[in-house]
Amino acid sequence: MALIKEAELPGLGKKYMVELEGGERLGIIIYDEGNRELFYFAPAEDEPTCSVTLTDQEARQVGSIIGGAFYQPKLLEKLEAAIADLCIEWLKVAPQAPVAGRTIGELGLRKNLGVTVIAVIEEVDSKKKKCTAINPGPGFTFVPGQTVVVAGRRDAIARFEGMVTGEGR
Amino acid sequence: MADSITNLTVAFAIISAAVLLARKFRFSAIPLLVLLGILCGPHAPHGTWLDLRLVQSTESTALLGRLGVLLLLFYLGLEFSASRVVQGGATLAKGGSIYVGLNFLRGIALGWLFFHSWPETLVMAGITTVSSSAIVTKLLVDLKRTANPETELILGILVFEDAFIAVYLSILSGYLLAGQTSLLTGLLAGLITVAFISGLLLLGRRMGPYLDRWLNMRSGEPFIVVSFTLLLVMACLAERIHVTEAVGALLIGLVLAETSHAKRLIQMVAPMRDLFGAVFFFTFGMGIDYRTFGPAAWLALLAVVATVAGNLLSGFIGAWVCGYRGRAAVNVACTIMARGEFAVIVAGLAAAAGVAGILQPLAALYILLLALISPVLAKRSRWIYETLVRPWETRRERERQTVGG
Repeated sequence: MALIKEAELPGLGKKYMVELEGGERLGIIIYDEGNRELFYFAPAEDEPTCSVTLTDQEARQVGSIIGGAFYQPKLLEKLEAAIADLCIEWLKVAPQAPVAGRTIGELGLRKNLGVTVIAVIEEVDSKKKKCTAINPGPGFTFVPGQTVVVAGRRDAIARFEGMVTGEGR
Repeated sequence: MADSITNLTVAFAIISAAVLLARKFRFSAIPLLVLLGILCGPHAPHGTWLDLRLVQSTESTALLGRLGVLLLLFYLGLEFSASRVVQGGATLAKGGSIYVGLNFLRGIALGWLFFHSWPETLVMAGITTVSSSAIVTKLLVDLKRTANPETELILGILVFEDAFIAVYLSILSGYLLAGQTSLLTGLLAGLITVAFISGLLLLGRRMGPYLDRWLNMRSGEPFIVVSFTLLLVMACLAERIHVTEAVGALLIGLVLAETSHAKRLIQMVAPMRDLFGAVFFFTFGMGIDYRTFGPAAWLALLAVVATVAGNLLSGFIGAWVCGYRGRAAVNVACTIMARGEFAVIVAGLAAAAGVAGILQPLAALYILLLALISPVLAKRSRWIYETLVRPWETRRERERQTVGG
């Protein structure tokens, strides 16, 4: 495991120093205004060799790529691979979706597909206010327009995606 | 005479130009605002074919500038947290107090050398001691040094300096406004101010939960309006008991910082502070007549030389004490050179109290020169290290070896 040091930078944000295996260090600054800056320190150097700046959105995208949300390296050990196989997806319920109007219990999502609904985000149209149901029970009914957050294995998620979007059946 | 809104429009057009220019050239906006205030204010150069007196000093510009100081200090109070100073730990406290202490002594010596009188000396110390958090932080980001190990120390020292200036402003304002000529009675007045402040802070602590509940408003409008009113009420109260309104603003900031709304308030106040703070720096420049620069220029130049030399030394010693060696220590010493907002605030306070008029042009020239010098120094820290510190370090190393052998 890498050694990570955390430090407060008053007025700027937070700093994380990651000690890598090769002796190099990676400095990650999260600025209070949202940007991230990455610095590369060669072994035994106190001045960074190079740096890159990311906006908040870019940083999140890059972060999920590095975290293996889209593609996992195949050479990992079994335990780590099992965690890395976990996929979390945001899916919007389409008007003609097979799941529309049915409850989580009816569909037997966990039993039949192996996916778990973590949360459902509903948009209340009139005020454009978002309302979230976290960990909804088996009696929860899917309605078109909702955004469903599900967790499960990648293949299971793909099958569930077909049922939610009404495609790929 | 132009009517007030036209006057204000011209003023803001110039302020915008200053801020945009500063952004373009990666230069701090504060000295530029002061400079343009001098060049376009009522004391601007004017002749038969050219009249640069674009902005009149009216009630409205003065009022906005005054609000600027209040908001600057309100923000300082809001953002300040005692836990941050404590969090820094003992080493930081040692390094920070050595740095601030040495600089303060240097400021006192300089002031006494120039003026031979206590009020001016104390103001001079206030102007030259504390570096500008805004300029230094910007410099660190621009030079891509935010991830360097010594940056933690630099930012820690800045926090330390904020604490120092908060206390010092309170004492100084009490001393200046009391109009005392003797140091002892003046300092006594200052101490009374401090006692009053600590009393109020204690009360604020007690009141915290009530304030917390009372300010618990979901919508932004009443929240910011009530907070702003609180700020004005506190400024009024402070004025009544002969403490400067700026200290009142600082105080209410410190009290509100203890409530759970601090973060939200900081976000709401920051743009207001930027807006009116810019007017304050501009109006400060407007109050300065460049024709009085003659005697001030020499003093400013001397002060700059003393600051650069003193700061290199105190910064290096401070960093050395905190365990930073070599280039890192030089980086610390070179980066915390710029002076800015606090110098202007202290000089403005001196103007309000009617202390020697030479201090304002002096402060203006001083921050301008340092703003020009400090980025160069910070960029060239490697060169400074190699020419000044390296030989000393190698000699030390060699001596140690000979002693060991």
